[in-house]
Amino acid sequence: MTYIEPLKSEDIHDPDLQELIRRGAALGVPDALFSRILARAPVHAKALLRALLHSHYEGSVDHRLKEIIRVQLARTAGDPYFGGLRSARARQAGLDEDRIGAGSGKFEQDPRFTAAEKWALRYAREMYLNPERIDAAFYAEGKRHYSEAQIMELGAFIAFHYGMQAFARTLGMRPHLRRAQ
Amino acid sequence: MALNPDKIDAAFYEELRRHYTDEEIVELGAFIGFNIGYHTFFGTLKFYPMFAPDGRLVSQEESARIYGAAPVSLAAPQLTK
Repeated sequence: MTYIEPLKSEDIHDPDLQELIRRGAALGVPDALFSRILARAPVHAKALLRALLHSHYEGSVDHRLKEIIRVQLARTAGDPYFGGLRSARARQAGLDEDRIGAGSGKFEQDPRFTAAEKWALRYAREMYLNPERIDAAFYAEGKRHYSEAQIMELGAFIAFHYGMQAFARTLGMRPHLRRAQ
Repeated sequence: MALNPDKIDAAFYEELRRHYTDEEIVELGAFIGFNIGYHTFFGTLKFYPMFAPDGRLVSQEESARIYGAAPVSLAAPQLTK
């Protein structure tokens, strides 16, 4: 039982919103539960779902890396809903639970991650736990691995998904469907 | 939501419903979440408003002096005394 009742699918008539909900469900992030709660405020729902989907799998940063970051952020936010969801596209591209879990652990010493991936994982972790550590030197290091456009893409992705997870945590949600193993 | 998310429970939402519709609560929650996420990100980028409180266009160095150490937003409660 969520604190805000999701709209029933048959009560959502806006075709653009229906399509965004379908795209989220196909990806697996977000599933229809969060989308149907957002649909209570339909104008906001369309803007937010579009941004969630676009920031997650569009752009030039590897979607699998973003998926690892997204789960790490959900754990930081204490949000079991987004923490329990998985991207079908990332899974199809070879991302497994072991690597996702490693991204939330001691990834600095993990040889499976490149220096660029470790920087991105630190960027997400420090953003909300130790933001004062993200200084000029930190960004200078990031520019050795990523273009400024990619750093903005990563920063905006991290900020937006963390913000939605902070909101989702308060709604009493859990993933709608059991995750495929 | 930002400092004590565990305090936002069913009773909290019941109280909200005495003042707002479900549509407005979702709108507020998403707006707050969005701002929690983005303000921290913006804070790491070290940029400041283009204009001083008196409307002058100022350099980033001057803006940092105006808004950085003692932001106007934090001083506001004292101004109302």
